[in-house]
Amino acid sequence: MGLRKQSPKSSASEDERRLPRDLPGLITALSAADPMTRRWAARDLAARPESCPALIARIAVETETSVIEVILTSLTLIGDNTAVAGLIDCLRSENPMLRNAAIEAMKQLPDEVAPWMGQLLEDPDPDIRIFAVDVLESLRHPQVEDWLIGVIAQDDHVNVCATAVDLLGEVGSERAAPALQALKARFAEEPYIQFAADLALKRISAN
Amino acid sequence: MTLIPQLIKDEDFRKFREFFYRKTGILFEDSKRYFVDKRLIERIEATGSEGFRDYFTMLRFQVSGTELQMLVNAMTVNETYFFREEYQFECLVNSILEEIIAHRRDKAAPIRIWSVPSSSGEEPYGIAIYLLEHWPRISELDVEIISSDIDTDILTQARRGHYSTRAIQHLPAPLLKKYFRRRGEFYQIEDSLRDVVEFTRANVTDPADMRLHRHFDVIFCRNLLIYFDDLSRKQTAESFYDALNPGGFICLGHSESMSRISALFRVRKFPETIVYQKPWEAR
Repeated sequence: MGLRKQSPKSSASEDERRLPRDLPGLITALSAADPMTRRWAARDLAARPESCPALIARIAVETETSVIEVILTSLTLIGDNTAVAGLIDCLRSENPMLRNAAIEAMKQLPDEVAPWMGQLLEDPDPDIRIFAVDVLESLRHPQVEDWLIGVIAQDDHVNVCATAVDLLGEVGSERAAPALQALKARFAEEPYIQFAADLALKRISAN
Repeated sequence: MTLIPQLIKDEDFRKFREFFYRKTGILFEDSKRYFVDKRLIERIEATGSEGFRDYFTMLRFQVSGTELQMLVNAMTVNETYFFREEYQFECLVNSILEEIIAHRRDKAAPIRIWSVPSSSGEEPYGIAIYLLEHWPRISELDVEIISSDIDTDILTQARRGHYSTRAIQHLPAPLLKKYFRRRGEFYQIEDSLRDVVEFTRANVTDPADMRLHRHFDVIFCRNLLIYFDDLSRKQTAESFYDALNPGGFICLGHSESMSRISALFRVRKFPETIVYQKPWEAR
């Protein structure tokens, strides 16, 4: 007993996995009964962009949070158009954990998410438009301010505008001031918009 | 200050940064430009390459990957000392190990501790010394300490176990006397410790490497994730989740927080420190 060198038995130097590690094998493993097998399959599929549809299909039925996390990480690592479309689908999920995780994942992909942003900000569902603004919260992209100005200039849903105004107070410049004034006029009866827009204007002028 | 000839153009730096990030998970900010340029130029000269483009082509397409490993060795920072953040070792012997022993399913299995990155070995050898000195149950149970690093030069150094006075400055004198021998300006760690700590090469963002590092009860990963971007941190945390046995613990550096990286782990507050635990019921 005491300190001892790693024994061959406890070493994981041998590959313990039983299913083939080719694309069909990994996709099959995504549906395995053991969550760890599913996580390893999802992790390995990050190197196979062609697996995106299978990863996205799995998310729709996956119940284990740890597996969902790994699938979202793999989709983010793949980061192509199909992966981003899959992440956007997650915004429509009833599962708040999945929605929030997808928002965090999309923030990691500014250039890939940018072409979708216009469409997201015009989605008929105001919740999706709010989630899109949430993505902008830490999306490192030069167009963020323009998108936010567009939202407060055009969106007719008070909660969407309120979310955008809050963010403009942090990232906006003098360019946003006319749109903020116009928003105040458009929602003259909404005390929160008045307060948030004034705060944003104050912060912008202080910068 | 030595002036570096402007051999690395902005565009080349960005191209290299992207490549190195994909290979290692390490992201160099613009503020690290001097550090990166200096080492790149050293490797360009050492390999007899004609310039960045020539070198970069070789780096990307070399089948053996030898030059990439040389470059990784040059780009990684290895700065540590014995008993750094000692309160975590106290937590290990006072709380963590006792909980693992009480709840684990396979009572006969060895307790496995993974120290990553190993740097030059101060942490894994320090854990070994701490267990021998402060944990009486070491005589009743088998404990395996495995330590890994992406830098193969530093692994060679760790296996050798030679330390400067700076590295051992926080060790109490009796422990220094007991576990080291003076060799001129250096201190050589006892062979009995070198024989029980296993060193392996691992890139924590590479699933193929992580697959070979599993079944751990405790992971020490201190001051590594601060070099990663958000996505690599998340990827690493998820790999650690599968590297741990159910109920296993992760100890991070004092400025790092798993709560900002992943929700998979439980936050555990012990008297000595905060650590992160894979739930016992996790599958």
